Amino acid sequence: MWLAMFKPLFKSKKFLISILIFIFIVLLGLVGPILYPVDPTSYAGPFERPPSREFPLGTDTYGGDLLAKVLNGTKTSLYIGFLTAVISMSIGIIIGPISAIKGGVVDEILMSFTNIVLTIPNILLAILIATYLKVRSAEVIAFLLGALGWPWFARAVRSQLLSLINREYVKLSRMAGYNDLRLAFEDLIPGIATYAFMSFILFINGGILGEAGLSLIGLGPTKGVSLGLVLQWAVLMEAVRRGIWWWFVPPGVIIVALTSSLLMITTAMDEVFNPRLREK
Amino acid sequence: MPILTVNNLTKIYESGMIIRRYIEAVKNVSFSIEEGEIVSLVGESGSGKTTTANIILRFLKPTSGEVLVDGKDIWKDINTFEDLKEYRRKVHAVFQDPFSSYNSFYPVDRVLYQALELLDKNPRTQESKSLMEDALIRVGLEPKHILGKYPHQLSGGEKQRLMIARCWLIKPKLIIADEPVSMIDASTRGGIIKLFEKLKEEENTSILFITHDMGLAYYISDKILIMYLGEIVEQGTPDEIISSPRHEYTKNLIGSIPTLYRKWE
Amino acid sequence: MNRPVLQIENARAYYIVENNYVRAIDDISIVIREGEVVGIVGESGSGKTTLSNVMLMNIKRPLSLIDGKVKLYSNGNVIELNKLSREELQKNIWGKETSIIPQSAMNALMPTKKIKDSILDVMKTHFEEIHEKEIIEKVQARFEEVGISKDVIFRYPFELSGGMKQRAVIAIATLLNPRFLIADEPTSALDVSTQKMVLKTIQDLREKEIVKSIAFITHDIATVRQIAETLVVMYAGKIVEISSIEDIIKEPLHPYTRGLLFSVVTPEPEVKKRGIYYIPGTPPNLMYPPPGCRFHPRCEYKLDICDKEEPKLKDVNGRKVACFLY
Repeated sequence: MWLAMFKPLFKSKKFLISILIFIFIVLLGLVGPILYPVDPTSYAGPFERPPSREFPLGTDTYGGDLLAKVLNGTKTSLYIGFLTAVISMSIGIIIGPISAIKGGVVDEILMSFTNIVLTIPNILLAILIATYLKVRSAEVIAFLLGALGWPWFARAVRSQLLSLINREYVKLSRMAGYNDLRLAFEDLIPGIATYAFMSFILFINGGILGEAGLSLIGLGPTKGVSLGLVLQWAVLMEAVRRGIWWWFVPPGVIIVALTSSLLMITTAMDEVFNPRLREK
Repeated sequence: MPILTVNNLTKIYESGMIIRRYIEAVKNVSFSIEEGEIVSLVGESGSGKTTTANIILRFLKPTSGEVLVDGKDIWKDINTFEDLKEYRRKVHAVFQDPFSSYNSFYPVDRVLYQALELLDKNPRTQESKSLMEDALIRVGLEPKHILGKYPHQLSGGEKQRLMIARCWLIKPKLIIADEPVSMIDASTRGGIIKLFEKLKEEENTSILFITHDMGLAYYISDKILIMYLGEIVEQGTPDEIISSPRHEYTKNLIGSIPTLYRKWE
Repeated sequence: MNRPVLQIENARAYYIVENNYVRAIDDISIVIREGEVVGIVGESGSGKTTLSNVMLMNIKRPLSLIDGKVKLYSNGNVIELNKLSREELQKNIWGKETSIIPQSAMNALMPTKKIKDSILDVMKTHFEEIHEKEIIEKVQARFEEVGISKDVIFRYPFELSGGMKQRAVIAIATLLNPRFLIADEPTSALDVSTQKMVLKTIQDLREKEIVKSIAFITHDIATVRQIAETLVVMYAGKIVEISSIEDIIKEPLHPYTRGLLFSVVTPEPEVKKRGIYYIPGTPPNLMYPPPGCRFHPRCEYKLDICDKEEPKLKDVNGRKVACFLY
């Protein structure tokens, strides 16, 4: 069933191109640091050198190896994105269905809470909280972004489930004596699975961009490297004005390629799975 | 003993958290259906007929009143999963929209598998297979053209026939047919109506036929109930209702239906 | 016999989809005469809505008129609508000579504009110069003629009930007293008591000679029976029978007409006596219509010739039917 469902995806050129870009960057982050085992935080050599045989992406003001920084930074950024998505998703996937199935007062309380979180400008709150934390690990950043990003997803899951529950085939399954668990696995989850999957991708995106945003204003992780941190130092040392392009171009390109490939994956999926957009 | 007895059924919807509003969808509705009887519930959209159906099908709890199936109260006398299963074998339904009656992830066989499972039969045995084929032939479908297909590969009429095949497997005592032909092309409607008639004749099935179409109700039923704003305002045999309607709403309704064999003044 | 108002000669109108033709209208000829209400019935997909577009010459891609003529008889002149450009039609024909009450009158009015403003917009496409006050007075008079209050003109569409909206659209569509009016399923979205009212309104249009003739398109024979004298039965892009409505109800000739008529159930004793019928199978895909008579795969009276040759419309006792049984 699942195989048949996802088959048409691989006929979409947009999907194939974007998934290849995404896989390439993931490999860069996962396999890169193993193939190029240079410590990204050590002082490797001369400072502000353009790319050369010895330092393929050059060095920064402190003599750090930029290739090592970008490879490890990609890994951290992906890790933060993924963790953010897991956190947001878990909260949304608990609140949305409870709200939809319980209804009544439970629904109203949960949805009021969701709406409150939804109205808080979350990057602002993230900035406020981050300022108070002296030590910020990658996990803390992911938690901050994840805990603020879930409301729209919870609301969407709730409304989708509400419409599914009243669908006639769900009633017919109940009439055939299905219990709640079987109903959920056979009729409800498949109905929201593609949407949840697409949301997960968007959450990863939000995590990566959120981390970059926080890092750029100096509120990123306090240890390790991430793409956002590399960019932050490039900005601090006025790399753009001084023309040290090898410092800010590679991390910038990776962030743009990563987030736009993820967005393209979701739009391609939308075209395939959303009957209204389906091209005939 | 009637197969279905509905006594003083009322359903009030509440909404709003601080300022509560109440909507009476069904008001004090009582009627009964005998074995082998077709009773039509006629009303326009919003008259409460689908809410009534949902209560009888145990999808919705009434605010007050009781529903007895075969003498058992469907809320008080169903306590175990076995009781519920027994009730589901007695009361089944055919819905309005043949497209949303099927989950598009699965082949259409699923609706028959579900029926067999309800009867505690393994759908994958040879016996089950011949039961399914027999049910399909009874509703005028060719098994090899239907089994294994996905919902979008069948026409609306075929899907609705398949729903009735499901009823042939379960052989319920009562079928709630909620506007079963309103989304089917006029020229193929008659075939579906005939299948309901056949179920009644051969299996003595009782049918609650919910419709907005007075012509259909007149044609198919032994008794007609007219529902208006949540209440049953009038009931009687089809000929009584058509020739001497008493309630204003019924009079107006019957006067407005275009007739085939007479031209309006 | 009265003078003709609109005449279609051997029209073929196809939808072009992926280099393939959907033969929605295939070789149809029809004459609509002064003072006549013609009912056009058929199932969904029979081509009846496409036919209404051909009558208006409202042809937009992917639909195109492959062959045939659409003639309008106007004060002794014959205008070949198929030779006019869209701009000419918009300026001189639509609204003035021919008009349509669309299927979804609910959506025919702009929801964000008062009815008055929608009307003025339409008028601006017909005339260089308009006198607002004059038009409003004229519309108000027409509103009262169709049985709605003249204040309706200052309302927004959402403030009106379905029946009022439908009658407002009828009033606007016939404001310039068009010779020929098409009503495309004008009552199918309304509840029964409103249906009757709207039907009466349309009948009045002809009695008051606001319009000369009407083509009433529907899938419901019982509705059209109340208003039309002549019935045109369409199946899969072809006309299968043309007769007076009384004759068809007494004795349908074409097997399709018979099936369609006998599948109608109304609350009348005759229906119980007659029983309910249905036509097996589904209408054909018009991209690949069956050879010979397009109805033969669903016909219970099929002869050997039916899948080989195409039956032509021929006279049978003053009626017209396209079937080899006659």
